[in-house]
Amino acid sequence: MPASMLGHPFFRMRKLRFHLPFSVVSLCGGVVAVLAVVYIGLIAAVMSYAALTIEFSQSVRNDEAAVAVLEGQYLATVAHTADTDYAAEGYVVPTVKLFVKAKSATALR
Amino acid sequence: MRAQFRSRIRLILALLILATLGIFLRLYFIQIVDGDEYALKADRQFSSGGSGLFDRGSIYFTRKDGTLISAATLATGFLVAINPQTLGDPEAAYTEIAKLAPSVISHDAFIAAAGKKQQVYIEVAHHLSDVDGKALAEQAIPGVQVLRERWRQYPGMTLASQTIGVVSYGSGNALVGTNGLEAQYDDILSRSGDSLYKNFFAELFSNVGNLLVNARDTREGDIITSIEPEVQTRLADGITKINQRYSSKESGGIIMDPYTGAIFAMASYPTFDGNDLTEVNPTLLGNPFVEHVHEFGSIMKPLTMTSALDAGVITPNTTYNDTGCITVSTESICNWDHKARGVIPVKQIIMQSLNVGASWVATQLGQDKFRTYFTALFGQKTGIDQPHEGRALLRNLSTKEQVNYDNMSFGQGIAITPVQMIRALSAIANGGYLVQPHIASAVRLNSGIIRNIEWGEKVLVFSATSTRETITMMDALNDEILYNGKAKIPTMSVAVKTGTAQLATSEGGYYTDRFFHSFVGFFPSYHPRFIILLYTNDPKGVQFASETLDSTFLDLTHFLIDYYAVPPDRGFATTTPL
Repeated sequence: MPASMLGHPFFRMRKLRFHLPFSVVSLCGGVVAVLAVVYIGLIAAVMSYAALTIEFSQSVRNDEAAVAVLEGQYLATVAHTADTDYAAEGYVVPTVKLFVKAKSATALR
Repeated sequence: MRAQFRSRIRLILALLILATLGIFLRLYFIQIVDGDEYALKADRQFSSGGSGLFDRGSIYFTRKDGTLISAATLATGFLVAINPQTLGDPEAAYTEIAKLAPSVISHDAFIAAAGKKQQVYIEVAHHLSDVDGKALAEQAIPGVQVLRERWRQYPGMTLASQTIGVVSYGSGNALVGTNGLEAQYDDILSRSGDSLYKNFFAELFSNVGNLLVNARDTREGDIITSIEPEVQTRLADGITKINQRYSSKESGGIIMDPYTGAIFAMASYPTFDGNDLTEVNPTLLGNPFVEHVHEFGSIMKPLTMTSALDAGVITPNTTYNDTGCITVSTESICNWDHKARGVIPVKQIIMQSLNVGASWVATQLGQDKFRTYFTALFGQKTGIDQPHEGRALLRNLSTKEQVNYDNMSFGQGIAITPVQMIRALSAIANGGYLVQPHIASAVRLNSGIIRNIEWGEKVLVFSATSTRETITMMDALNDEILYNGKAKIPTMSVAVKTGTAQLATSEGGYYTDRFFHSFVGFFPSYHPRFIILLYTNDPKGVQFASETLDSTFLDLTHFLIDYYAVPPDRGFATTTPL
């Protein structure tokens, strides 16, 4: 580039300045405030969700434990039935067992 | 002025950012770098709350109608701990705790614990019920803490306990499955320690992946077994009575579907209650059906017979000369009654349980073929879903002495686990296939999806023709020989075989007065729903298995026919009016 052209107004160095309609500091402050609120909100939501999940899980486990007690009683009853000596109770083995054709799908239940 | 204000704002902002970064850095070090140390410190101060409640998947029995019944589940209640620093009156506290707690440490141990003033938390009682725990908490005894607790519970107590297994503290601080299904499926049953107090920042920094795909939900779940609780109870009751009646060393029984390998019941005696292991001999914790090997005796004869029929070296009409006793390599082999039968068909070998006949069949088969068949039947583990499965002792298959093959033909000199034995005998029942015995049928994932477990491919070892011919012999044994024919069920064909083996001495010989009894049977004979294997080790005051196990087998057979409404396969009155 010829040195004479550097003096042309187009190439003359100028100090550029942007004038925004609001303060950058205020913008950052606002963004920080919004992020902080969102962050706290997220923590609250996650903790509440975790608390509800744990509470529900505990409730399920408690119900399962209650069911297990009933299942224990059922199994104890089955064991008692299996252990019963029916002959000693006065019952006898059937002398005849007759099979009949099923009249419905539920007849053999 | 404006520029000065701006620079101050920037300074404050920079300080705030620095402070925030500092806090994050500090949290990073506390929760991630030194997290374990702080957690340990917290646990030392208050151990129960910090570690969360014990959690683990359930194991279920399956009733015949598909209803799931818990075999292993969780119980919820309370534990009691003391703080020796604030405990006022140890004697009074112990009295109140002992009134309500089912398992509390001894008085002396309690007083000693109360004297440890440098500690703040010592557990003194466990497994309090909800009602008792709350009642104790309401008393607000100074220095006594009543805290939530969850523990493993087995509602069936001794029911299938050696198959279900137990949890215990392994090498670490966590309860893990150490035996049975608890150990076999520990990765599915165990739960990772999620709690309300999870490490939030650690999750944020290092666990982002789980937000997208939670691998645990595809792995963790409950185990559903094919064990039927009423069938299991019946079998366990029968086995217990056999063992107690004959003062045996041990007894056991398995009921299985011969076509699929699904096990309906597996009971042994002696056994244990998984809810209370304080007095249990540790050797009982293993599963004898996969860990113990036995010489089963004559229930091996149907396998020898089927091998020979399959190889084509004999037919059902082949005859041989039974001399009562033979001498092989200077050793004498005799029938159970030492009596000769003369020229008889091979069918009688099964029906009369003739050792001389079985030896003759083994000789006809030849050592190479015998080895091939028996290696196919017993040469590998069954792959059952139980830990610590043992291998059969097949050393005699590698020898050249014919007497060893003769002995193996009737079940001596070859030691096998009960699961291997029922698997091999199932091959006769199901038309010639080796199936994979299994206890778990499905996994119920945490997501609620039930994933059926696919078990191994069936392996053909015998032709269907040869198995059918052997079944005819076993069927005739039940109808004509057992109880002198009184065991015959007019409407149901049942194939059976008894086995009586001499027990081996530690010197390598055999006792003449100590026996191992076994019994196998399946029904309906030609398309069986169930195969039953029973055994009792060293019964006292009795010699033959037909005396110890037949009534229990027949009771179980009648029970299963009624319980499952197994349709009759013969003797059915087709003229019955509709």
